Amino acid sequence: MFNPATLEERRIYYREEWDIKQVPDFIVNSVENREFGFDHFGRGPNDRYKVFNTPEYLKRFMKSKTPFAAYCSVAFYEKPRKRDGWIKSELVFDVDAKDIPIRTCNCENVCEICLREAKEIISSIIDTLKGDLGLNNIHLVYSGRGYHIRVLDEDVMEMDSDVRSHILKYVVGADLPKDKYDDSDGIYNLEHFSIPFGYPKVFTERVKYAINHLTQDSKLDDVNAKLLKDVLTNRNLLDRDEWGLFKTKIGPLRYKKVVKAITSLNMGLVDAKVSIDLKRILRLPSSLHSKVSMRCMEVKNIDAFDPFKEAVPKFVWERK
Amino acid sequence: MSFINPLSDEGKRIVMEDGGNLDRIYDENSQLIDIVYSISAQETSDDAFIPKNYSDLVIKRVEWFIEKKSDPDYKHKKYAYLFHREITKMDTIAFYILCQAIGVKFGPNSRESRAVVELQGQIIENRLEELLISERTEITQKILNNLIVQDKIKWTQLADLVSSKKISLQELVLKDGNVILDREEFMEHFGEIIKKTNRPPEKMYDVFIGNRIKELIIIKMIMQNTENYIKSVHERVKIIEPNPILLKIADKVSEVLSKEMRYYGGVSGGGTVKASPLNVDLFPPCIKSALEGIKSGGRNEVIVLFLTPFLSYARLNPSVFRSNATLKVSDVDPDLKITKNEILPMIYDAADRCSPPLFDDQPQEKININAKLGFGMHDDLNPQHEGETTWYTPMSCEKVKLQMPALCRPDETCKSIGNPLSYYTRKIWQNKSNK
Ligand code: SF4
Ligand SMILES: [Zn+2]
Repeated sequence: MFNPATLEERRIYYREEWDIKQVPDFIVNSVENREFGFDHFGRGPNDRYKVFNTPEYLKRFMKSKTPFAAYCSVAFYEKPRKRDGWIKSELVFDVDAKDIPIRTCNCENVCEICLREAKEIISSIIDTLKGDLGLNNIHLVYSGRGYHIRVLDEDVMEMDSDVRSHILKYVVGADLPKDKYDDSDGIYNLEHFSIPFGYPKVFTERVKYAINHLTQDSKLDDVNAKLLKDVLTNRNLLDRDEWGLFKTKIGPLRYKKVVKAITSLNMGLVDAKVSIDLKRILRLPSSLHSKVSMRCMEVKNIDAFDPFKEAVPKFVWERK
Repeated sequence: MSFINPLSDEGKRIVMEDGGNLDRIYDENSQLIDIVYSISAQETSDDAFIPKNYSDLVIKRVEWFIEKKSDPDYKHKKYAYLFHREITKMDTIAFYILCQAIGVKFGPNSRESRAVVELQGQIIENRLEELLISERTEITQKILNNLIVQDKIKWTQLADLVSSKKISLQELVLKDGNVILDREEFMEHFGEIIKKTNRPPEKMYDVFIGNRIKELIIIKMIMQNTENYIKSVHERVKIIEPNPILLKIADKVSEVLSKEMRYYGGVSGGGTVKASPLNVDLFPPCIKSALEGIKSGGRNEVIVLFLTPFLSYARLNPSVFRSNATLKVSDVDPDLKITKNEILPMIYDAADRCSPPLFDDQPQEKININAKLGFGMHDDLNPQHEGETTWYTPMSCEKVKLQMPALCRPDETCKSIGNPLSYYTRKIWQNKSNK
């Protein structure tokens, strides 16, 4: 597993295993408005601006070209061949297991541990997208080395990249919540962990996740080895939600440092460029990720999904 | 109520009762004059400060907006009456005349319409500020109840407020996509969990939701309704012949908008930075490296989205973020000579220095550059198409860092600014004061 697929294996995959029915409906239904891109030689997707007016054409193309990698745009265009007449774009979050800033494994590429951690991050983002932002048309795709969340709610598909970057920061917890609030009677200091709703709640969960996944080797801006060690020693307090106590043990100023560092670290959980780019192409679900010999595929049930069972093509099992 | 929201039922009633007789709009209105004179905060030294009839009042509203925005010597006392409730009736009627005039003549997508919508937002904001706190809370709540006929507001309806940073998503209390504004609803969702933290939920509501968010939302909604009203007027014109009086008022408004638009502004420290030839030495690091061309991916973004807005604003309207005025390229460069002879060549040069040269394989990006200057998707800069797209403002440092991280190599000056354009205006100012 995780070895590149040979040319012969790619052919076997597309001709024997792959089926146009594995391409999710949310793509098939808009196939004529999307731009497709292909990588034929493993040097990046340079065959772009491709258009298929029907799924049948796409099917024939895949079976005959058996590409190294296949992509399709998150954008819908009036004239996809020219990338012209932009209509709208899916809102996308890309979590690549290899690039997660807090991984408890030390693997070179990806392994079961970091893929599981990618899944945990993804689930919490989806919860926030649903529970806070009220989005429903959400599709999860296993990308071969991580996950894509693809949101197709009409309201958000028309939004510009500024709004998208705000959404991104909200769902990953990349902004420090205010701690001073005022009303007509005066000013209040409220810590994020004492506010059990809205963004501060999301933020508290993200901080907790990060602290729970730190290791001795984690690199945090402005946090030295001693402070990191203290955080690790006391983090069990957070399991019981004893934030106040945790903060006292660490020291309020040092606590601030830690939280601030986590805020910028959280920004790295998701590839921001993908989320704000309205014309990005993403790996086509059902296609083969040839570098690691895994299938990119839509995930219907996130809790039950195990990439090592479901995303491994048959030819891999048959390898000697 | 209609002092803040002229489109409310009360506002509509005022207009109905008045009969909407446009022939009288030039007649001297002694009631209006008396009220204005009776306001003690009002400057009355010059007769020209006093609106004499409806037409005057319409124009004064526009003048106020322009002066407040772009005149550093703006005198509030000249317009004090605009913020006193005694004028409510006349003001409401003036509002309708203004919107109708713009609707019949220019339509909802015009620059004039955008200015009027913005004007209305400004006026409401300032009127609310002048109210006493208790009154302000009460009125805000009343207007909100009135506006939100549909039972819920979704955050997606506020997207442009988020995009323009007027509201941050993090400040809104969201539940299933709805913005929680109502006290009872807040209690229902969060009351129990808050009690567990030993804090009074009522207080949490005041602190978290309170007035500010509500005010922003009503301002925003009234602006939206104003735009819708202008649109509906515009649609009616297709069926009914417009009143010539309205057309005349519209011309006057348009004249005030362009004539009075003066280009003040500058950087903090008091200096003004006017449109002037570009000084490349004072450019921020990111722009300097973009001008050298892009060797790898992302050429289009750098040239079209980054350099084009920066160079055009730096050359034509460097104080855009300060003066906050809605200008078009042709307001500053009427025959487009500067744009064609100075700005475009610099952009094209940078595009040529990319490898491969940008236009070799993507000639359509030239059209995109024109679009970002406000001239629509056309292959030349034709004044007739101006306004089809908007003149794209330079992106912030934050966005540069996200979208084209390789370009951002911050230096000392970068620490104190948030937008490459402010870097430039600041440098110009420092440069001047060093001499
Ligand atoms: S901080 Fe801003 S101005 Fe400075 S190099 Fe980066 S993007 Fe440019
Ligand atoms: Zn791993």
